[in-house]
Amino acid sequence: MKHSFLDRYSDGDSFMHRLDPRTKFGTALLFILAVALTPPGSWRAFGLYLVIITALLLPARVPILYILKRSLVVMPFVAMLAIFIPFFKGGEVAGSYNVWLWQLTVTYSGIQVLINILLKSWLSILSLIWLTSTTRLPDLLQGLERMRMPRVLVMLMSFMYRYLFILVDEVMRMKQARDSRSFGGRSASGGWQIRTVGNMIGTLFIRSYERGERVYAAMSARGFDGNIRTLNHLSFRLSDALFGMGYSLILIFVGIFSQLY
Amino acid sequence: MHIPDGFLNVATVATTYAVSAGGVGNAVRIANKKLGEKQVPLMGVMAAFIFAAQMLNFPIAGGTSGHLTGAALASILLGPWASVLIMTCVLIAQSLIFQDGGLLALGANILNMGIIASFSSYYVYRLIMSLMGNNKRNMLIGSFAGAWIATVLSASAAAVELAVSGVSPLHLVLPAMAGVHALIGIGEGLITGAVLGAVLAARADLLQLKPI
Repeated sequence: MKHSFLDRYSDGDSFMHRLDPRTKFGTALLFILAVALTPPGSWRAFGLYLVIITALLLPARVPILYILKRSLVVMPFVAMLAIFIPFFKGGEVAGSYNVWLWQLTVTYSGIQVLINILLKSWLSILSLIWLTSTTRLPDLLQGLERMRMPRVLVMLMSFMYRYLFILVDEVMRMKQARDSRSFGGRSASGGWQIRTVGNMIGTLFIRSYERGERVYAAMSARGFDGNIRTLNHLSFRLSDALFGMGYSLILIFVGIFSQLY
Repeated sequence: MHIPDGFLNVATVATTYAVSAGGVGNAVRIANKKLGEKQVPLMGVMAAFIFAAQMLNFPIAGGTSGHLTGAALASILLGPWASVLIMTCVLIAQSLIFQDGGLLALGANILNMGIIASFSSYYVYRLIMSLMGNNKRNMLIGSFAGAWIATVLSASAAAVELAVSGVSPLHLVLPAMAGVHALIGIGEGLITGAVLGAVLAARADLLQLKPI
């Protein structure tokens, strides 16, 4: 079935795809950190960050429309968390409204903080999209392991990634079966729907658990000793060193610029 | 509620990362001791299970739909430390694959939805089972209460983190988050109970596993 929403485009080939996962993870994190440290209201710095991340996303040959869609899908949730901010910051009043029992006051500094937070979130999301749409998750995990992430966690995540697609397939089949039996119709009672979803997840749990047991049995029959060996080795090349150093310098420069002006 | 990047200040990011690193580190240690490395495949499939279960949404009033978070389910089925590990994997994957929850906010999200949710739901469930007796009805009540409390507590923790970061004042954001999640928690509790009921009917032996 279709689950192309999971790390789509990460299998492509471009300069960005060929960089070492460690380089990309480190610089993506540095970008998010630099954005987070930008003082509110330094619009020029935000503009520069947008230019930088666009310059990184374009050579990755990932469709712009996909990136925009992808980054805006999460924004409603971000906005939900941030929506109250303009009403509760002190400062010069921009407008005042009477809504039923409440007197709502919007301040300029509140609006500034709101836009500031939304911009920061969006830029950080773009940086994450750059990272994950140019890096295959297994490679990223291998890179994280070399960067001292605990082995158990890395292995858990590798197995999770491997079986995710199978279980998502399973869920989609169950969903299709459920929806073709008119789930969620107006006549359906809430209790019945809860029980249906409960049964589905329960079934999914049992199937997953049994699958996990079979996987483990099959692996130990083939001599699994807790280590995963791979022929796919990471290599930190000259281009990684140059890209990493250049990008970091630019970020540090913009960071200092945003603190000064 | 996943906290995105851009909301937390540096002090909060550092503190929550330190606490979560300690908690997850301890979970890794305990898992290494109790599981050996042999059962890692099983736990990985369980993490994929939680991820996939979150995709099954159900309609709530007013055209909206909700889905399971799964920390309570994982900790009741497999034990709190196992649940911390599983939720950590799920949260990292959600942040990387769906950009749901930020990378800098990951420490806070693991603390709220991994550590706090797993332990609160597990101990509330255990408490109710030991006080009221071990039978099916109490198991359903316990899992409902555990999942509800986990949802409200993790939302409250998120509210405190947002307030400490100066995003909005505590006396507003805490009741707002706790209130909304008191409603969401009802759905989480009912589904968790329904799942346990289904597992009990089909493979009751899976509920007798030794918790990790």
